[in-house]
Amino acid sequence: MKSIVALLGRMRAFVIRDFQLAISYRLAFFLRVLTILIVVTIAYYVSRIFLGKAELFTNWHDPLAAWITGLAVLNYFMTNFSSLANAIRSEQLQGTLESVLMTPISVPGLIVASSTLDFIEATLYSSLYLVFGAVFFGVTYQGSYLLAFLILILTTMVFASLGILSASFAMVFKKGDPIAVLLGTGTAVFSGVFFPPQLLPSAMRAVSRILPATYGLAAIRGVLIENNGLNEARGPIITLLSFLVVLLPVSLWVFSRAVRRAKREGSLIQY
Amino acid sequence: MPVAIAIRNLSKLYPGAFELRTLLGRAPRKRSVQALHDVSFDVNEGEIFGLIGPNGAGKTTLTKIIATLVQPTTGSVTVKGFDSVAQSAELRKLIGLAAAEERSFYWRLTVEQNLMFFARLYSIPARKAQAAIGELLALLDLEESARKRFGELSTGNKQRMAIARALLNKPPILLLDEPTRSLDPLAAARMRSFIGSLATGDPPVTILLTSHNLNEIEELCERIAIISHGRIRELDTPDRIRALHKARERVRLVLEGISIEHAVNVVAAALADAEVSQEGSRTVVSFWREVGDERLDHGLRAILANGTRVVACETQRASLLEVLEAYEREEAINRNGRP
Repeated sequence: MKSIVALLGRMRAFVIRDFQLAISYRLAFFLRVLTILIVVTIAYYVSRIFLGKAELFTNWHDPLAAWITGLAVLNYFMTNFSSLANAIRSEQLQGTLESVLMTPISVPGLIVASSTLDFIEATLYSSLYLVFGAVFFGVTYQGSYLLAFLILILTTMVFASLGILSASFAMVFKKGDPIAVLLGTGTAVFSGVFFPPQLLPSAMRAVSRILPATYGLAAIRGVLIENNGLNEARGPIITLLSFLVVLLPVSLWVFSRAVRRAKREGSLIQY
Repeated sequence: MPVAIAIRNLSKLYPGAFELRTLLGRAPRKRSVQALHDVSFDVNEGEIFGLIGPNGAGKTTLTKIIATLVQPTTGSVTVKGFDSVAQSAELRKLIGLAAAEERSFYWRLTVEQNLMFFARLYSIPARKAQAAIGELLALLDLEESARKRFGELSTGNKQRMAIARALLNKPPILLLDEPTRSLDPLAAARMRSFIGSLATGDPPVTILLTSHNLNEIEELCERIAIISHGRIRELDTPDRIRALHKARERVRLVLEGISIEHAVNVVAAALADAEVSQEGSRTVVSFWREVGDERLDHGLRAILANGTRVVACETQRASLLEVLEAYEREEAINRNGRP
């Protein structure tokens, strides 16, 4: 209990620090919001071309709803993944890692705490995709928001496990993390963010089937667009839980090995 | 006296990175480095202990192992009974590290915001933290810079910030790396006085000080360790270490009533390698001698026999720098067979 309170206190410290750093670049926030609005607007006009032509594909009756849901979820997953993966790296590059690690924070605690504001921001920005779609372009969402949120959390935990693996790689090898490259590109292309994975050739469809985002995205869209309930979402949820059961312990084990190796080699504080 | 830091048989080998070329039978580009060899010593509570040595001697590695940032290969470090590997979190609560690294702060945050961030990481309650920050800023003459961004501070103030941060949680042990490196002479003297006051305060702070400024080490430290190529070569009080290596001393005789040309002739026979120079109306003869040899006696006799008045006779003790250089020469001879 005491350690949870301490972790929450440190998360607060990082949130305040990152917020203070963020507001020292005031324009960045407004530009980001504007970018989201522009992307949603473009998606709306492009979706007019395809409206009514995608009936064959589940969740794609309204391409705009499918795109903005896909973009919101992709933004959420990738921000959270990269935030965890880059937590140590960014402190290393700034030169502050050593001084932070001199405080009683643990390496896992540092990774979680320094990603907190990114999680909050990702939640805000991802919500903006959905809000702009609803407010300016009449997109309607149905189904249980709670169920959609739980699926989002479950998929995020799978991505967090991959983020921890990626952080382990970055800690030992400093750069050139192949997990980030493969996951980022793979998720954008194969998981159904921009088009239904069913359109892919069968060999490529196999790639989409090994990506956790494919299941998370399909389930969230199913709930928000098709009004699916827990019964219909059960398949993707079980698949995501299977990913989590395998990836979480593996990633934590790899991470503890990486921390031990970096401390032994003295490379944790080098960049 | 109770021991604050106990270092036992500490060795550190930085392994060379894995390289694909080694699979092809090629030599690795980055070889492993033995940074510390079997280092053992204690630092007592309330002591200011100096660690001196040339660049690459192992000072930083040793400091980082004590600070739990690097793990030893063999041996152990315990701080007030806490092991640096097994109990690193508990140990870090007892230690403050002030390194001479400017990049260890957030440059776009103010002085106060930076210190408050670290205070939160130490779980210091907000009010207590604010009071401690105010007190430290006053002690270190940083009050006027409290709302300035860290990036706007002078190098000296950035260095003061490192010390303020190290003292935030009032640790009983302080690791200081070059604490006066970027300070002007007056500020450096005040900093030395401040460091000295920490060790005599209530409760006293134990300080491990690494520095290239040997005068500073001599002034502040009760004991010093000379580290060279990862080994502790000598560990004692500054006086005793100097005494061990006082093989030579420089003698300076200030004379009146003799011209420089005449002095050269007079001392030439008695002191073959003496240097003669003019300082105002006086002539100065300087020479090196083995401590206790007869050169001073011969030189003085020759000068006095000439009717010259000796105004002053000064001898310069071997400095810690000379001791350090002696170790380096010895190490080079051991390694290469020549200095």
